[in-house]
Amino acid sequence: MNEPILRVDGLRKSYHRGFLGRTETFRLEADFTVEAPAIVGVMGPNGSGKTTLFELITGSNAPSAGRVLCRGRDIHRVRHDERDRLAIHYHQSYQVRHFRRTRPAFMMDRAGSDYPIVHLFDEPQFNTQDGYIGFMLDFFRRLRSEGRLVFLCLHPNERFHLEILREICERFVFVQRGRLAHAASFEDLTGLAPVRDYLGTLLR
Amino acid sequence: MALFEARGLHKRFGAQVVLEEINLAFEAGQLSGIMGPNGAGKTTCFNVLTGRYKPDRGSVRFDGADITGMAPHRIVARGISRSFQIMNLFDEYSALDNVVIALPQVRARGFSVTHALDADTDARDRAEAVLDRVGLKGRERVNVRSLSYGERRALEIGVALATEPRLLFVDEPTAGLGTGATARLAELIRELKRHTTIVMIEHDMRFLFSLADRISVIHWGQVIAEGTPEELRENPWVRRSNLGGLA
Repeated sequence: MNEPILRVDGLRKSYHRGFLGRTETFRLEADFTVEAPAIVGVMGPNGSGKTTLFELITGSNAPSAGRVLCRGRDIHRVRHDERDRLAIHYHQSYQVRHFRRTRPAFMMDRAGSDYPIVHLFDEPQFNTQDGYIGFMLDFFRRLRSEGRLVFLCLHPNERFHLEILREICERFVFVQRGRLAHAASFEDLTGLAPVRDYLGTLLR
Repeated sequence: MALFEARGLHKRFGAQVVLEEINLAFEAGQLSGIMGPNGAGKTTCFNVLTGRYKPDRGSVRFDGADITGMAPHRIVARGISRSFQIMNLFDEYSALDNVVIALPQVRARGFSVTHALDADTDARDRAEAVLDRVGLKGRERVNVRSLSYGERRALEIGVALATEPRLLFVDEPTAGLGTGATARLAELIRELKRHTTIVMIEHDMRFLFSLADRISVIHWGQVIAEGTPEELRENPWVRRSNLGGLA
């Protein structure tokens, strides 16, 4: 278990327009390591690349370059029918798992785990009225205590969203125009100028 | 050991994963509640627990025996009954006939409504006793079509009880009920609790928290929280919500 729980190694995804004389329309670049189980907060404006990043980490989208290693296993080399045993992307219709098949299963690696190691929650519906927030936050804590890595992606538009991030996350990633900024604490995060611009009046 | 246990249930329909990993244990003599937001996988979970769907992974054990993937009628024969979210009463028959049909002794003879039922006074007595228990005394001869919505719910539970279950599954009993009918139903379920082990899926948290001994919260096809109503209510975010106001 000396392998980091997640290693995002020189990851790049480029989107292009046109066949001849292709121009790059969007590029996401990421390079970071999470050594041990943690709860990581992810923020960023719409269209900044958060969902693309999550898709690359779960292996539902193929990178233009680089690797994603989950406890040492390259997720893009794991059998498509076992990829969600390493990482799950919970989005609005989280239940649908589609992986484009690029090679026959026998040429690929096994996941080597039954219950996913990385859990990426993409803007879960938080409603202060019904009480489910409390159960959801406890669930994130339980996953972490059982040795999993949790990403919680929020697009804060209410003050309690920041309260949630501050309460539960140990480190943060801010995504903007395809680039990642990392922060070791909520205070560091909200000290970053682009983050202050992004959050605006929520911080006051 | 728990009377009923589910371990590592996983269920998908094509690319759609509905149950990620469900672990549940229901103790004999208790009312266990299951709640969760829309689309959390509650009904599929229910269908896997009661044998309607076979899980892709995981096991279901009842009273020590593995019943995973067993046909629903064989599960019923072991003493597990289920009251449906969708009404499955015979509208054109009386409340009494609906219960008589569900009695094990009548089922064993074969499913013929016409043949019969008049002659069998023992079955009739038993059915009357069941109707009494669910608060429908005096309504035996009424056609199901003429029963109020709340009475139909009570009859549904009566039909489930008539199978003499050791474990009764109830799916969203308050769906579509007004406050008055919900209060009557709560009384009814409180009474049923004294006779049998119950597992109830319920959307109405107030209702569930007032009746359940233990509650499992399902979301994302997993059990995200579990405990007594008191334990679950201690969570600070739950206290801040409407649920926290429940005394």
